[in-house]
Amino acid sequence: MLWLYLHFPHLMLDHVRRNQPTDKPLVIADGSGQVILQACAQARDLGIQPGIRLKTALGLAPELSLLQADQAQETRLLEDQARWLYRYVAHITLASPDGLWAEVSSLQRLYGGLAAIWQTVEQALAEHQLTAWPALGHTPLAARLLARAGKGECTADKGHISHALNQLPLQAAEFEPSACTRLNRLGLNTLGEVFALPQKELARRLSPELLVHAQKIQGTRPDPRAPWQPPHRFRQQADFIQEVEHTQGLLFALQRILAELEEDLCWRQQDTDTLLLILKHRHLEPTRLRLRTTGPEHRAETFLKLIRLKLDQQPLRAPVTSLVLAVRRFTGRETPGGQDLLGESQDLNEAWHTLISRLQARLGEQALTRLSPQADHRPEFAWCASDVRQRTHSAAGNWQALPRRPLWLLPGPCPLEQQPVAWFSGPERISAGWWDGQRVHRDYYIAQLPGGQVAWVYRDIRDAWFIHGWFG
Amino acid sequence: MSELLTTLLQDARVWQGHRQHTTITQPAEATGYQALDNQLGGLGWPRGALSECLLDVCGIGELQLVLPLMKRMAGSGRTVFWLNPPSTPYAPALAREGVELDNVVVIHTSDAADFLWTLENCLRSPVTGLVLAWPGKLASRDVRRLQLASEAGHNVCVLFRERHHAEQNSPAALRLELMPADQQGLRINILKRRGSWPGQRCTLAMAHRADIGVQESPRVVSGPWPGTSR
Repeated sequence: MLWLYLHFPHLMLDHVRRNQPTDKPLVIADGSGQVILQACAQARDLGIQPGIRLKTALGLAPELSLLQADQAQETRLLEDQARWLYRYVAHITLASPDGLWAEVSSLQRLYGGLAAIWQTVEQALAEHQLTAWPALGHTPLAARLLARAGKGECTADKGHISHALNQLPLQAAEFEPSACTRLNRLGLNTLGEVFALPQKELARRLSPELLVHAQKIQGTRPDPRAPWQPPHRFRQQADFIQEVEHTQGLLFALQRILAELEEDLCWRQQDTDTLLLILKHRHLEPTRLRLRTTGPEHRAETFLKLIRLKLDQQPLRAPVTSLVLAVRRFTGRETPGGQDLLGESQDLNEAWHTLISRLQARLGEQALTRLSPQADHRPEFAWCASDVRQRTHSAAGNWQALPRRPLWLLPGPCPLEQQPVAWFSGPERISAGWWDGQRVHRDYYIAQLPGGQVAWVYRDIRDAWFIHGWFG
Repeated sequence: MSELLTTLLQDARVWQGHRQHTTITQPAEATGYQALDNQLGGLGWPRGALSECLLDVCGIGELQLVLPLMKRMAGSGRTVFWLNPPSTPYAPALAREGVELDNVVVIHTSDAADFLWTLENCLRSPVTGLVLAWPGKLASRDVRRLQLASEAGHNVCVLFRERHHAEQNSPAALRLELMPADQQGLRINILKRRGSWPGQRCTLAMAHRADIGVQESPRVVSGPWPGTSR
């Protein structure tokens, strides 16, 4: 078995940087905000090293941008990295908070050698604008220790790797701090010197756990790692170090996320029709925007247009501190089903979806409706408005056999105030609805009003007269 | 006639209205009413241009006027949009008339900016066959904008506006004034059309919209209106 370990020395920093390019020094502080955990290149130039206190750092660079580390977010970030890596590697194990293993011995034939795998991973890291220190090892721990020490090399040679391991200082070997001190007091400084000790003595004089750890590094004790399974959803977050006040600032980050979504969808051969965009604010409840396309879609460009429309329509309530784009609904991609070789019909279909999506993004989903008749005697219930996207399977009923109805139905009956000049037909008695409490008991007539309008009027049970529709 | 005028006329530098008898070939859709088509020079509703129907109240047969076209468009798979209709288009009646309801979409917009934007988008889309729109107030600048949008597409757009707009000028290609006529008919004044002089009138029989036979005496069984001899 050969393991590749990727150590992300400043994942959080990379994550913030690629969503909002800035040339100000940027640091990540720990949860309590006392100690600097990660510092960017500009900050390091100013003398800020990871591990120093925040007050010192602020003294060195007053205009320092600061972000607090959040464990849940770090885990999520790491999962994001695992998700794209999953395209290249099957067996991945997460090492929270800043690293992950990939089992590569089974991939050598696929990629044609270790160098090709190494190169692929490095290229992907560059594409994602990430800094990572890779290393290879025959045991998971060996790879991890070498990666964290920055001693990784692209070689599977056992001698070479064990030589590099033996050279590692004890502090880098991740022993318990107390055990590490004891070993130091014994005059041992490198990992190789610990390996050289007799194992029984090591367990007896120091601790069995230390022996287990050493054996796991060497590979004489099994160290199984459960593979990570990518969740079937898409979620990307962009955190802004400077709050974004204008839509334009959001679009920059969205562009990258949507490109990743497109890549992800292409890779899965899937489409989606619902995006959830959450904009987090410092003091307000997050704004949740649901974007729906009328048809399955995977292109970043289309999503971006819809989002832009939605954001134009809905100005930001407050500056945005971070945005999340999540997709939970996936649909399998369908092959175009048109029989037309030239794609004429397909084009229209797509144009229809584009138009309806655009309209819905701006007007809201309830603004567009499709009508269909319903089997009910009461005029108010004899029709219904349904969502445009659902293709109504209107039964090809014999609607011609229905009685004459007006083309306009008033939203509600309106009192008849003028005396009709002519009566044409009637009465048509409609009495229904006793079963659901919306009783209707009316006599309908067709009559002409003085203005020349032909109206559908009725008399209800209390002898009151109403207009219910126009024969437009 | 003066020398100068004769020269001008001979050089064809003065446009003469009565000379214009050459048939203009503009894309159009037949209205489905022969009498009206004849008055419109055998053309009908212009495609890729705005049409305006000016009327005071609904219920005089205005939908019946566009119904043949609507039926044809929806039947051929083009979408028919109803934009901000004043009441509910009644689905059972449309189905009874044979309109393919799958291709009918009703849109309601909340403000004028949305209305214009929506109408423009509908007009520019190739899926649209017919747009019926009730705009309410429209600045003439907006009508111009819509006219440009409709030129970009090839569909029929009918705006229903109030009759007092007849006095204002409008860039619409066809303007019809609708009024109720005797026997539930619809009188149409052509206020403007392309390619020829306006001013034609015709009356269409629309009594069939309420199943009223022309000869038939009213079929009301008993006078419903209390206190009146109908």
